[in-house]
Order: sequence, then C-alpha cells, then structure tokens
Amino acid sequence: MPTSTRKGCAFVADPDPGRGAAGQVLARSPIAPAPPVAVVDGWEVSARRAGGPLRLVDCTPLAKVLVRARTGGVVAALLGVGHGRAARDGHGTLVVGSGPTEWLLLAPPGDAEAVAARVQAAADGDDDLVSVVSLVTHGRALMRLTGAAAPRLLAKVCAIDLGDRPATAGRGEATPDGTAFRSSVARLATDVIRDDLDGERSYLLHCERSSGQYLWDCLLDAGAELGVEPDGFTAANSLGDHRTERSSGIP
Amino acid sequence: MRLGPQAGELIDRDAPLAFFWNGRPWQGLAGDTIASALAAGGVRVFSRSFKYHRPRGLLTADFHDPGCTVQVGDEPNVRGAHRRVEAGMRVGAQNAWPSLAVDLRAATGFAGRFLTAGFYYKTFIKPRRLWPMYERVLERFAAGGSLAAGESVSSTAPGGWYYDKRYAHPDVLVAGGGPAGMAAALAAARTGAQVMLVEEEHELGGHLRWGGAAELTALAELRALVAAAPGIEVLTDAVVTGRYDDNWVAVCQRGLAHVTERLIKARAGVLVVAPGLIERPYVFEGNDLPGVMLGTAVRRLVNLYAVKPGQRAVVLTANEQGDAAAADLERAGVEVVRVVDARRGEGIRRAVGRGGVHAVELADGSRAACDLLVTSTGWTAPTSLLNMAGDRPVYAPEAGRFLPGDGLPPTVLATGGIAGDGTLDELVAHGEAVGALAAARGLAAGPLQVGGQAAPATVPALPTRPHPALFRASTHGFVDLCEDVTSSDIVAAAAEGYDSIELVKRFTTVTMGPTQGKLETVNAAAVLAEAVGQPLQALGTTVWRPPYAPISLGALAGRIFEPVRRSPMQPWHEAHGAVPLVAGQWIRPDHYGDPAAEVHNVRRNVGLIDVTPLGKLDLRGPDVPELLNLLYVNRFGNLGVGRVRYGVMCAEDGVVLDDGVTGRLGERHWLMTTTSSGAAAVWEHVEHWLQTEHPEWRVHVTAVTTAYASINVAGPASRELLSRLVDGVDLAPEAFPYMHVRTGMVAGVAGCFMWRIGFTGELSYELHVPAAYGLHVWESLMAAGADLGVAPFGVEAQRIMRLEKGHFIVGQDTDALTKAFGAGLDWAVKLDKPDFVGKPELAWAKQQPNGALVLVGLQPVEPAVVPDEASQIVDQVDGRRIVGRVTSSRMSPTLGRSICLGFVAPDRSAPGTVVTVRLPDGRHVQATVMAHHAHVDPEGVRLRG
Repeated sequence: MPTSTRKGCAFVADPDPGRGAAGQVLARSPIAPAPPVAVVDGWEVSARRAGGPLRLVDCTPLAKVLVRARTGGVVAALLGVGHGRAARDGHGTLVVGSGPTEWLLLAPPGDAEAVAARVQAAADGDDDLVSVVSLVTHGRALMRLTGAAAPRLLAKVCAIDLGDRPATAGRGEATPDGTAFRSSVARLATDVIRDDLDGERSYLLHCERSSGQYLWDCLLDAGAELGVEPDGFTAANSLGDHRTERSSGIP
Repeated sequence: MRLGPQAGELIDRDAPLAFFWNGRPWQGLAGDTIASALAAGGVRVFSRSFKYHRPRGLLTADFHDPGCTVQVGDEPNVRGAHRRVEAGMRVGAQNAWPSLAVDLRAATGFAGRFLTAGFYYKTFIKPRRLWPMYERVLERFAAGGSLAAGESVSSTAPGGWYYDKRYAHPDVLVAGGGPAGMAAALAAARTGAQVMLVEEEHELGGHLRWGGAAELTALAELRALVAAAPGIEVLTDAVVTGRYDDNWVAVCQRGLAHVTERLIKARAGVLVVAPGLIERPYVFEGNDLPGVMLGTAVRRLVNLYAVKPGQRAVVLTANEQGDAAAADLERAGVEVVRVVDARRGEGIRRAVGRGGVHAVELADGSRAACDLLVTSTGWTAPTSLLNMAGDRPVYAPEAGRFLPGDGLPPTVLATGGIAGDGTLDELVAHGEAVGALAAARGLAAGPLQVGGQAAPATVPALPTRPHPALFRASTHGFVDLCEDVTSSDIVAAAAEGYDSIELVKRFTTVTMGPTQGKLETVNAAAVLAEAVGQPLQALGTTVWRPPYAPISLGALAGRIFEPVRRSPMQPWHEAHGAVPLVAGQWIRPDHYGDPAAEVHNVRRNVGLIDVTPLGKLDLRGPDVPELLNLLYVNRFGNLGVGRVRYGVMCAEDGVVLDDGVTGRLGERHWLMTTTSSGAAAVWEHVEHWLQTEHPEWRVHVTAVTTAYASINVAGPASRELLSRLVDGVDLAPEAFPYMHVRTGMVAGVAGCFMWRIGFTGELSYELHVPAAYGLHVWESLMAAGADLGVAPFGVEAQRIMRLEKGHFIVGQDTDALTKAFGAGLDWAVKLDKPDFVGKPELAWAKQQPNGALVLVGLQPVEPAVVPDEASQIVDQVDGRRIVGRVTSSRMSPTLGRSICLGFVAPDRSAPGTVVTVRLPDGRHVQATVMAHHAHVDPEGVRLRG
C-alpha cells in the first residue's frame, strides 16, 4: 500500500480528461488526489471509491469559516457550542468550538459566503467585536478518517486517549462523539473532531494548509498495517448530512 | 543432542528450519531459539568475551544470557538465547577474529594482569599524537556486531528496520506474564478494566513453562482464561523498559511482522510489577567456562527445547529449582555424578578446563570429572521498576535477596515472586488480590468516575522462606560476564579507595553491560561488602535507571516525524526543474538552473517568484492602529485605507525583531506581513502583547500565512502582464501608486489583493491569492506573459536583487545585538510616539553614542572577489583585532562585480573608507565602504515608476 499520494508534477502533466476545460478556474487541495481525478464544485478531487473498512478522505474543499467572538455574547449564543465540543446546527453546518473565543464552521463547498453572512447578520447591531473569516477555507487542510480501527491508527501518532471503555467500568470515555481538541499529531499542531458518521467511528483532522500533504502521508503510513485507503470526496463521506447533497453529479 | 519429546516443549518436530552458523549450514526446528538450535547440534562455545576474548557458552539460556550475543544478517547484538530461528537466517559470532574457534584477540588474556579493570584510565594516554593509532587498535578489539554502511534497502532484520510508536492508556498495565501476572490481569479485567499484559518471552507462563505436570496444567488453564478475557491485550516478546512520573510507562515490543521494534508509550492507571525472580550466578574460579550454567538454564534447555546440555554433570544446589534441575538431568539421561547441597554446608571451589569445563574441585578437596557444572545458589529480585517508582527495596538477609520496601505510590503494586515466596496457589491468589486492587484504583483514577468506591488497601502478604546467602566461593571468579569484571577487580578497586558501590561500578564497569546488573549487582555488592568489611544492606546497590533492557536507537526515534510545508505552486516548481531550498520546514525553489539569468530577466522583462511562506496576519477591530503603533517603531495610526507601510519591530531591548509590510484593507481590516522565518514568532509576539498587556483592546488576529498563495510579479513589464489578468483594479500609476494596496480579481479569482512594494528594486506587485487558486493564477500568469518574456525566479535571484538594492534581512544582516539605529533605521524610529516596544532603550541609545557596529554597503576593491558571508573585518594594522564582519555577499549580475552588506565599527563607517576583510582561508582583501546600502539605483527611480 503506497503511503503517499504525492507524485511531483501530477497536477500539471496529467492529461486526465476529467479535469476542467483550459482556463477554467480550478481550486486545489494541498493533498495530491488519489487517481482517478475529477472536478466537483470547481475543486479538483479524488474520485476513487474505497471499499475497505478504514478510509481517509481529503475534505479540504469544504467551506471553513472562522468566527471570533466573546463567550456569552450574541454570536456565541447563536452558535450554541462550547469550547471542546462540536455539533450540527439547523442548516447542517458543523459548528466546532475550537477555542475559548473561536469557532470553526464547516459547510459544503462554496457555502462559505452564505455561512459567513448568517453569522454576520447576528453580529450586526451588536456592540461586540466579531470577526468572520471565510478565507480560512483556503487556510486549512481537512481530512476525515472513518472506520472502527480509526482510534488504533490515531494512537500511533497522537497521545490523546481515544479509546472506548466497556459500560461496566466506572470510568467513561475520554473523547466521546462530538469532542473537539487541538493536539500534536505526528508532531504537527492539528485540530481533531470526533464526528461519527452513520454509526461508524469517524474523525475530522485539520491543520494549517501547507502541511496538509505531510499529515495525510503520516496517516497513510501509520494506517498501512490496518489497511487504510484513500477515498474520494463526496457529500456523504465528507460532511455526512443528506441536506448537503448537491445535484452536480456526485454519486 | 536432541532429547525425546518433552511435555512442555516449544519446538515443532515436524517443522525443520535450515539456517547458517558462521557460514556453515545448520538445522533447527520451528520454536527453537538460535542458541537452542545450536546447542542441540552440540555447539558449546557461542561467543568470545568482551575484554579477554575468553570462549563463552550458555549461562542462563534466556533473554539475559550474556554468552550468546550474535550477529544475524545485518542486525548486530541479537540475543541468541531469545531470538527464534527463521529459515535462511545467517547467524555469525561477534567479537571473534578470525574465527570463534581461534580468536587471536584472546592474546589479551595473556596481558590480563595489565588489563585489569580501569586500565584505560592509566594507559593509552601519552603521547597524545598516538591517539589516532590507539583508536584504530582499540576499535578492532571493541565488542559488538557490525552495521551495514549506508542505508540497507532490504534488510534481513524483522520488519526491515521500520520502527514506529504507539500511545496507549490502559487502566492496568501488568509487567510480567508469569502465574501471578496472569492472575492479576484476569482479576483486573473481570471488573471491566482495560489491561495490558506485557511479557518478555515469546509466550506467557514464566517459570510454569518448564515445570512438572501440575505447573503445565495450571499454565494451560491460565492461558486459556487470558485468551478468553475481553479487555486484556497481551504483548509478548515485549519489555517494560521504564516507569516514569505518573505511571508514564515505556514498552518496547518486538515480534511484529512488519515492524522491527515498536515503542509503546503508555499512561497506565495502575502499574502491577510481576517480574518474578532472576537466578543469580555463583562467583568462583572458572565460572565462565563453557559448560557452567544455571539450574534454570538446564530446566529450559531440557523442558522447552529438548536439548541435552551435557554428558556428565555436577550440580550445586541451594533450593528446590536446583533439585528439580538435577532431576531433569537424570530424566534426560545425563550422568549426575555429584549433587553438592549448599543447605548442608557443602560447596565447590573451582571449575577446571580450557575451552570448556572438564572437572570440578569441591570444597571438601575432592574432584569430579564432568562436562557440565550446574549452579542454583540463589535469586535476584529485579526491582528496577519499583526503584523507578520511588521505592527503596530492603535486603532480607535470611532470604538472601531484596524485597519491596514501603515507598511505592498507590498506583504501583508488586506481586509474584518479587513480593515473596509461596506455593503456586498462594502466588496466584496474591496476584488476583493485587489485580482487583489495581483495577479499583485504576478505574477510580480517571476524571469521569462514576460512583467511586474506596479501594481496599490490604492484600494478604506473601511469606518469605529462608535461603542461604551464597555469593562467592573461596576463590575469585567473574562477577560480570558481559564486561569481563572479576571479583578480584572489585577487591582491587576497593583497595584503591573506591569503597562505594556507585564508584566501583563506574571504575570497574561492573553491571554496565547489556544485562545491566540483573546477573551481577548483588554479587558485586556482596564482594565489595566483604572487601570493605560492611554488611551488604549497608552498601546497597547502584541506582536502577531506565531502560531496563537495551533498546535500539531506532525504536527511540520511531518514524522521525518532520513536518514539511509546501506552497500550492510546489508541483509546478518541481516540474520545471527548481532546485529545492529547505528553509525551516518550507521547501522553496532556490533557482531554476541559472540565478544570474533570472536576475537579468527580472530587471529587463518580468519575473514571478513564489513567496507564499511570507508570514501574514489578518488583523480586525477598532484598536488595530493602537496595536501597530505599539509594536512597530514607525507610526501606523495615520495610515489610510488602501495604503501600505514598511514597518520594523523591535524587542524591549531595542534589538531588531522582524520587519515587514503592513497594509490597511478597510476601515477596521489590516494585513500585516512578516519575514518567512519570523512568522510564528511574530504571531506569538502580537498575541502576547494583546492578551497580557492590553486585553481591553478590541483586536482579532488570524494567521493567514498559508491561506494566501503569494506571488511577486517584478520587472518593467509587470504592470503590462497584470493588466491582462486583473479585473476591478485601475493599474495606472496615478491610480495605483507605490506603497498602496488594492483588492480585485486576478485570472478570474475573486478576493485577491495586491500591493505595490519593491524588495527587488523593480516595478513590482505582490499578489495574495486564496491559496486553493494559487496554482491556477501562477499558470495563468506564465501563459499570459509568454510574449513578455515572463520567467520564474527563485530565492537566490531574489537574494541577489535585494542585496543590489541594499535591503537588509533580519537575522542575516542583523543579529541579537543589532539595535534599530545600528541597522540604519533612524528614519523609521519615531521617538515622538507616546510609547512603543523598545522606546526607552532606543531613546537612551540615541543620546549615548556607543561603539555599536554600523551596517554599511561594501564593495571589494577587486570586483571579482566575492568574500564569504560571515568573513571578519579586521584592523589594517593589527590583523587579529576584529572590527566588523561581512553579513551578505554576492556577485551582482547587474553590475558585473561583487557587492556586500556588513558591519563596521563607527570610526570606519564613513563612505570611502577602505577596510580589510579576512577570508576563511586567511587571505586579506580590501573593500570600500559605500555611501548607501543600495548598490543599484540608490534613488529608487525604477521602483516608483
């Protein structure tokens, strides 16, 4: 199992007909897509379909909006998620309490402006300083690891306790579904969100963009013994909410 | 010789394996260790000792055996009595030249009298000029195997030199998989605790494995229970190498198919220490001869591997294991000529033989011919983990060994043989009680405790049975077989004044070999105690430190995680022949083949450089101007929307910290740039002042360094090129002057901003594009500018051009002593501002002319001479007095001559002064101080066009 998808000049030399027409504005992830390559919502993505029990998806095309506001204010109340937790709001956006006065909102590709506008509308008219930075869509590499063996893979690169305990034990799980934390993963400062999908164990990981390929490669290397495979980007395996399904041909 | 089937044997007689021993083909069976396969074939000498190159055989026939360290393929220092044989294995002896049988280095044995412990403190010292020769000679005699030079692409080592790590969080970690350890794991798992059970050998069982029928039955039951219990993770061929604060426990695991060694870092709720007991060798003359081994070695060889250890045996026994070893020998058809019972006061004096034992002299004066001498004289408690947990074990003279003290924290417990003696049932019961207690404490230790109960504090104590205290016979012998240290060495050390066990250890190196004292420490302490006339308990033992067993550097290193940062345009650079420059974690294009040509192209046509690593901070809020005024030496409060200003940051001591360009994108929206290498430090600096000094200021800072792909378009044709791709911005010089910022669309991408600045000195625009579109914009620029002569340029060309323009680089042309004025920044420092970081120090510096060095432009008198950067500038007369140094130096393609920046003393900084530069090879060249830092276009005409 190869432990990287990087192939030097793959972007430029690859004459894959799945790419956009010449001159079309094409958005790219820092992570080289595992072939075959397709274009979805203006993003160059992997169209691979992995069948195995442990899958890694490059979710960088998702819209990512960073919100800064004080705790206890209007925006904090609207978002409704505390530091260290993550939950979906009424629009299917995943709201992550990534810091004491910081939230990261994850939404389908292209929705950054709409999400930002919603938050800005709540902030307008209020005195508090609120910053809504939708540029963060470009500033983070984001990937999702799904499968029962996901905690075992992450245990090789991250020191946080991601394990389960049997119900009979007196001690609960340290990181139940909906936990969000920031820690070192393979020596890189990374945000991790446990966001189980359809009952399957699942984790979102994001780091500053330029290290995206490095983090991706480290996860593939750590998971080689567990059979991890890259999987292509779809609405279902990235954000998982059926309301975000688009009609642009995603299977 | 191989015996008939044994009840507990590990070998599979239906699975023969062919391997090589010192180049000769050999046969073993699946389940054999290297040592057992060789011993079955009659091998008695397995290695040569460390210092004296004495022939050595098996002593313990287990993980700790010092006589069987071998080279396997390209893997050195393999424990031959533990590593299992595999088909095709190439096994070779270590430390023997030219061969194991005839080792010429054994000549050191003749020089033994002069090579006593610590000889190297007194010899091979003078004359110093002979050290290189001494080194080469001593290297040949150094022990150990060999590593292949260079990287082995395919290695015979298991896992092929792939090392990794793993974190774990067990509620209970049990170190030791004997009966007590297994019982503890089972009891803990029954209450729902997650248990990690770590066992040094390849299978669970400890001493039960070579026991009689009752032991084997108990073993099978316990193994079945462990296998059936959910919640027990069993690691075999794994060693707990250390216990650190708060039960941070290191486990080194082998035996994985795809990994050579895995280092497990576990945070254990409770650590249960169940290592059993290690049989102790006896010290007497000849005790290192092949054929002299311990009772447990005999029991392992006979019962686990069906190996007949010899033909005629003498057995010295002081306990039940020794008696059982004698019984095993008789069952195996070995003639046991004498059983010497130490409990009845009998003893031995010496073993006699060359290359192997052939007779034993007993204490009563009689002599017995034999080829096998077995000793079972006592037990050593491996208390390392207890010591590491803060306990001080106590020596119990009646039991002849150390027992756990009372200094253990509540989260570390001991069970099994190390805690006391007892029948198998008593040991198992003790293990169960300890396991239940461990689980209760381990589960209560977490923060999410549910209905926590008080953990029972009492576990029934194990009795201790008396045992004769036997350490040394009436003769002197080897105490440390790894390091070739004898008891007479220890006595001599004591006579020289090394009268503490710690000093003796360091002077003689006793206990410092691979066994790390497990077979030596107590004997060494006993010999020393006798020599200085003190009881053993007063002397104590040396400090037990991690690692418990030797660990590969590879396991400590693991996968070597070194984050790499790449720009969105990196694939293009690679495809176009860029030579990579590693700058911190970034990989950047240094040049594309010809930096001088790149410089010419920028100054004549137009070039593109990828400057994505440039630090960028997005600042929002009403108080941003206050923040900028505080952190920069310049004035920023008056900067209008759409304007850009170059700023310098100093630390509180006035030393230049960073520089960059900051622009105002909107009423309350600013973008600050920093140097690439300073990006993280400046972000911290900004947040530090905001959060700790001015939490009342309303500012939000977001790092956007990699959210933007940054491209510098530079050269006379840069405006023309941009006009073909930019939408929504009037590029005319009056509409978009120098040091202004505009936002608009580039190549169809919205949300870009660009500012006119000029690091290279040419007309240039720095574009900042949302990073996902970076490659698209770069490719569009390259395509649109083909007829304009557009070409990429790299970091080297940029360095040359900025030097031609006299722009200093913080950290290269400044150092930790350079204050703002020294770098020529008088114009930037606004001392009339109410306050800024560094103001008091800079105000004082302005008033006090001090001897601080001044940054000046320099041009060597010889235009072809390019001095090395960091060359010193020395006084004309006294060439040893340093008066400055060259900080930046290049050949300028534009001027066709060398150009520099450097520091000189103030009295030599007047333009026209000639200074002397001392090159690294010692030559002196002359250089002239220039009027400006800039060498090309000092007035900046091309820039502002």
